[in-house]
Amino acid sequence: MSADRISGAAVPYLPRGVRLHDDRVRGIRVLLAPERVIQLDPVGHAILSELDGRRSLAEVIETLCTRYDAPAEQIEGDVQEFLRGLIDRRMVFLEGEAA
Amino acid sequence: MAWTKPAPREIA
Repeated sequence: MSADRISGAAVPYLPRGVRLHDDRVRGIRVLLAPERVIQLDPVGHAILSELDGRRSLAEVIETLCTRYDAPAEQIEGDVQEFLRGLIDRRMVFLEGEAA
Repeated sequence: MAWTKPAPREIA
């Protein structure tokens, strides 16, 4: 996994063909992509639910900070690591960096 | 709500 920090001004989004899915049969939430499935925990699902392709990463983190009871630095660090892993797998894109 | 470090798991 690359260690590059994602800029707070970057706008993350789910690319075409990648979507969140609530699998009621198995009782799990997943991120679906062509030939790939990522099982998400509630926090992972909450992070991806905030990616609307309009708000910047900093705004997304700010929203999560108001909703969750944890230090902002911890939330930011975890979100950075989580999204970096998905960006490296090409399951999350940053606006302007597609292709 | 309580925050836990997200742990995504790839399903084969």
